[in-house]
Amino acid sequence: MWRATLKSLLARKVRLALTALAVVLGVGFVAGTYVLTDTLDKAFDELFTTTTAGVDVVVQAKSAFTPVEGGGGGGGQERNPVPEGVARRIEAIGGVQRVVGDVAGYAQIVDPRTGKAITTAGAPTLGANWDPLTGLVLRRGRAPTGPGEMAVDAGTAGKYDLAVGDRVQVLFQGPSGEFTISGIVGVGELDNLLGATLSVFDTETAQRVLGRQGEFDTVNVVARPGVSPIQLRNAVAAALPKGFEVLTGADAATQSAEQLRQGLGFLRTALLVFGFVSLFVGAFIIFNTFSIIVAQRTRELGLLRALGASRRQVMVSVMGEAVAIGLAASAVGIGAGVLIAVGLQALLRLVGVELPSTATQVLPRTFVVSLVIGTVVTFVASVIPARRASRVAPVQALREEGAPPGGSLRRRIAIGFAVTGLGLAALLTGLFGGGSHAAQLVGLGAAMVFLGVAILSPLVARRIAGWLGAPLRRLSFSGKMGRENSMRNPRRTAATAAALMIGLGLVTFVAVFAASLRSSASAALDETLRADFIVSSSQFQPFSAQVARDLAARPELGVVSPFRQGEIRVGGRTDFVAGVDPSTIAAVAAVDVAGGSLHSLGDGALLVYRGVARSHGWKTGDTVTVEFAKSGKRKFTIGGIFTDNRLLNNYVVSLPVYQRNFAGQLDMIVFVKARKGVPIDRARRAVDQVAAKYPNVEVNDQASFKARQAGFINRFLALVSALLGLAILIALFGIVNTLGLSIFERTRELGLLRAVGMSRRQVKRMIRWEAVIIAVLGALLGVVIGVLFGWTMQRALADQGISRFALPVGTLVAYVILAGFAGVLAAILPARRAARLNILEAIAYE
Amino acid sequence: MQGASPRPAARAVDLGKVYGEGDAAVEALRGVTIDFASGRFTAIMGPSGSGKSTLLHCMAGLDAPTSGRVFIGDVDLTTLSEKQLTRLRRDKVGFIFQAYNLVPTLTAEENITLPMDIARARPERDWFDTVVDTIGLRDRLRHRPSELSGGQQQRVASARALMSRPEIVYADEPTGNLDSRSGSELLAFLRDAVKEHGQTLVMVTHDPTAAGHADHVVFLEDGAVVDEMEEPTAERVLDRMKSLEA
Repeated sequence: MWRATLKSLLARKVRLALTALAVVLGVGFVAGTYVLTDTLDKAFDELFTTTTAGVDVVVQAKSAFTPVEGGGGGGGQERNPVPEGVARRIEAIGGVQRVVGDVAGYAQIVDPRTGKAITTAGAPTLGANWDPLTGLVLRRGRAPTGPGEMAVDAGTAGKYDLAVGDRVQVLFQGPSGEFTISGIVGVGELDNLLGATLSVFDTETAQRVLGRQGEFDTVNVVARPGVSPIQLRNAVAAALPKGFEVLTGADAATQSAEQLRQGLGFLRTALLVFGFVSLFVGAFIIFNTFSIIVAQRTRELGLLRALGASRRQVMVSVMGEAVAIGLAASAVGIGAGVLIAVGLQALLRLVGVELPSTATQVLPRTFVVSLVIGTVVTFVASVIPARRASRVAPVQALREEGAPPGGSLRRRIAIGFAVTGLGLAALLTGLFGGGSHAAQLVGLGAAMVFLGVAILSPLVARRIAGWLGAPLRRLSFSGKMGRENSMRNPRRTAATAAALMIGLGLVTFVAVFAASLRSSASAALDETLRADFIVSSSQFQPFSAQVARDLAARPELGVVSPFRQGEIRVGGRTDFVAGVDPSTIAAVAAVDVAGGSLHSLGDGALLVYRGVARSHGWKTGDTVTVEFAKSGKRKFTIGGIFTDNRLLNNYVVSLPVYQRNFAGQLDMIVFVKARKGVPIDRARRAVDQVAAKYPNVEVNDQASFKARQAGFINRFLALVSALLGLAILIALFGIVNTLGLSIFERTRELGLLRAVGMSRRQVKRMIRWEAVIIAVLGALLGVVIGVLFGWTMQRALADQGISRFALPVGTLVAYVILAGFAGVLAAILPARRAARLNILEAIAYE
Repeated sequence: MQGASPRPAARAVDLGKVYGEGDAAVEALRGVTIDFASGRFTAIMGPSGSGKSTLLHCMAGLDAPTSGRVFIGDVDLTTLSEKQLTRLRRDKVGFIFQAYNLVPTLTAEENITLPMDIARARPERDWFDTVVDTIGLRDRLRHRPSELSGGQQQRVASARALMSRPEIVYADEPTGNLDSRSGSELLAFLRDAVKEHGQTLVMVTHDPTAAGHADHVVFLEDGAVVDEMEEPTAERVLDRMKSLEA
C-alpha cells in the first residue's frame, strides 16, 4: 500500500510539472513582452540622447500633432521648414556659440550590383546633411563635400558591400542623382539608426536633393561655455517669432523617442494579448488537472475527513497546492521571459535592426505583474476543484468507486448559457456600440463566450465524440476502444478539448477575418477601380512625385492620376485624408458623390464619406474644421458626400490643398490608363519604361495588384497564427496531461487488456485515437466559434471597407486535420507509458 | 512420464523464479516440473507465499521464469519475444482473474468477444450461443459490467476465457471475491466446460471447496510441488492442507 501511495505521489509530481508548464509558458510570454519592450524603450532613450548629445537647444517649426504613421511624406515629422534667415538670427543671440541647420528626408540608395532600391524591414530610408552634432561619426574615408559626394551608414555599406570610391544612384522625391561614396559613417557606436539606411551629403547638397533649398528642418544650437541649455533655450525662444518650437537637447531627445515609444506601446499591448490568451488556456489545463487529481484522490480525501480534517482544511490544502504551483511556475516563467526577450533581440539584430547595446531591462513592475498574474490564474482555476474536494464525505474513504458526479446538470446548463449570453452581449456591444472601451469589451466578451461554451460542452461532448469516433469502430479494435475511452468521462474530455478550442477558435477567427479582408479588398478594386495599371512602391511606402510627371509625359497613356495620403485630425480624432487630382481621378475611380463630384472638387472643399458625415450630422455645404500637423486648423466646405470609402479614405481633398498642408509630397499610388486606341501591351511597355528609372516602384495591373494585397494579408495571418501557436501548444500539453492521468487511472484495465492479448502497438493506437478524438472535438468547437466571431467582426466592420464575408473552407478543414495530427503528437508519451505498463503489477491485487 | 499419458496441454520443466538480487533475492519457484493434462481440470493449492500465483503467471506467459522451460502445446514460451507472447496469450490462453476482469466501457457481449476483437477474428456464432447459454446471461449481454453482480461478472469473464477455444484456461482465485453460492455456480459451470467441451483448465485457489471440483490437485509449498491428488473431495483436500500448514 505504501508503495502505491508513493508511486501515485511521484506520478502526480510529473503531472504537476506539466501543469506548471502551462503557467510557465504564459507568464514567460507576458514577462518576455515587458522585458523586450522595456529594453527597447531604454535603448531608444539612450540612442536619442546620443544623437543630441552635442546639442544644447533645438529649434523647429511647431507641429499641431504627431501623426502616428509619420504623416504625408512618410519621412518622419510633419512640420514646416525653418528658413535659413532664422538660423542666422539665432547666431546673433548672446550665449550662442554655434548654429548648425539640419535637413532630413527621403533618400533611397540603389544597390549598384542588382539595380534594385535598397529596402529595410520597415525602418525609413533617410537622407541627411553631415552634422557631427547629431551623433554621426566618420568610420572610414572623409565627410562628403560638394554636389557629387555622399557618405553611407556602416550598416548598409557592410550589408551591400559598398566601399569608399563606389558610385551609387540615390532616389529622392525629386529627380534621382549619382554620387561617389566619400566616407562610411556610424551613429555613435552603432552602424546604423535602428535599421534605417542613411545617405549623408554636405548641407548644400542635402538641401537641394531633399527639397529644402534655403531651409532647414531643425536648427541645432550649441551654447557658449557657462551658459546652461535652459538659459539658452529661454534666450532663443524670446528672440524668435511665433510658430517655432525651442527645446533643450534633452527635451528634443525625449520628443523624438516619444513617437517610437508610442509604437512600442502598441507592440506591447498586442503581444500581451497573446500572453493573456495563453494564460487563459493555461487556466483550463490547471482546472482540468486539479479536477482529475481531486477525483483520483477521493479515497485519500475521504480518509483525511474521516480522521477529523474539516472541509475547510481540505479546501485550503488543495488551494495551497495551487498557489504554490502558481508562484513557482510564475517565477520560472519570469526567467523564461528574460530568455525569450534576449532571443528576440538577437533575432531583430539578425534581420538588420541594430539596437543600442543596453542592459536587458527587468523592471520591478515586470516581476510583480508576472508573479501576480500567474499565481492568480492558477489559484482561480483551482477554486472549483478545491470546493469539490471539500465536499468529499468521510464515508467515501471506504467506497470502491471514484468521484461523485459533481454539480447538477440543470445548474450547469443555466450557468453555461448565462455566461455565454453575457459574453455575447459584451462582444456585440463592443463591436457595434463602439465607445472608448470597445476593445476591452470585445476581449472580455470573447473570453466569456469561450468559458460559457466550455461549461456547456460536457453536455454534448459524449455525443460528438461518439459521432467523431463512429468510423473508428469499424476501422480497428484500438479505434473502437479509443472512442469508448473518449466518451467515458465527458467532463474531462470536454475540459481538455475546451483548452484547444480557444486556440483554434482564435486562429479560425483570424483566418475568416483575413479571408473576408482579401475578398473585400478584391471586390473593392473590382467595383471601384478603373485603372489599367497601378504604380506603387514595393512596400507601400510613398515614392517620388516625379514618377507621375514622367508617366504623364508619355503619349501612350491617357490618364495618370496620383493618389496621396496623410493624417489629419477632425474633432480630436485622427483619420486619413486622400489627396487626389480632381481632373483625372474620376476617370480611374468609380465613386458616387452626392451633392457634388470628384471632378468639381475645389480649393476650399472637402469630400466626406457618407458614414462619417452621418455620424457627425454633416450635409453638403456645411463647414468643417480640419487640423493638419504642419499647418494647423483649416476650415473647409463639404463639397459632396461619397458613398464608397473602400478606395478613397474617409476624407478627400484636391492635390493643391494637400500640397499646402503637408510637408511631405510623395505619392502613395499612381493610377494609369492607356490612351484610347493604344493597345494595352504598348501602354504597359511605356509604364514599365518609366518605372525602370525608379527601382523602388513597381507596376501592377488590377489582377496582380489584388494578388499583392492578398500577399500582405496572408503574411499578417501567418504572423498572428504563429503567435497563437503558443496557446495551442499549451492546449496540447493539456491533452498530454489528461491522457496521462487517465492512463494512471486505468492501470488495471490496461493490464487486463494486455493480459488477454492486446499488443503494445494496439494499446498505443488506442491512446492515440482517444487523443485524436479529443483534439478534433476541440478543433471543431473552436472552428464553429471562430467562424461566428469572424462573421460578427465582418458585420461590425462592413462600413469600414470589409464589405464581404468569406469562409476559407479549405483552411478550416486543414486546421481540423492538423489538430488531429497534433493529437497524435500529444499522445506519444502517454501511449508509450501505457504500452510499457507492467502487466503483473497492473493486475495484482492487494 | 510423457510417453504413457496423452500429450499435456501445458507443462513446466524444472521451472525456477527468483525475485530481486543478492541478499534481497527471494526464490519463488524452485525447480517445478509439472504437466497439465489435456481436457482436465487441475487445481493448484498451497498456502499463501507458496508460489502458486507465480507458477500460474509463468505458465501463462505473463511473467518470465528465471530458469527452466514452459510449454503450451509444443511451443516453448521461454524462446518467444514479447510480441509472440502477446499473440500466444490472445490465441492460445484464456484468463479468469480474481477481480477487475472486465473492461468497464464494453458491454458483456463485447467483453466476451474481447480476445477475438483484439485479433480482429470473427467469433463463431454457434459457439458463442453455446457459451452464453451455459452461463445463462443471454438477457444481460447489452449490460455494462457496472450493471452486473459480482457473480455475473465472473461468469462473463469465464465465457470470455472459453470463447476463443484456447488450449488452456488459467483461473486465478476466480471465486475469491464471490459469496459461496455464486462461487459454486461458477465452479459448476467451469466443471461442465471441461466435461462437455474437453477444455483444459488450471485454477489457483486456496479454498479446499473450490479445489474439490477439480479432477486433479497439485499441492505447492515454498515454491516446490509437494503432493498431488486425483479425484479430490473438499474434505480430503482440507486434511492435506492442514498437514501442510502444520
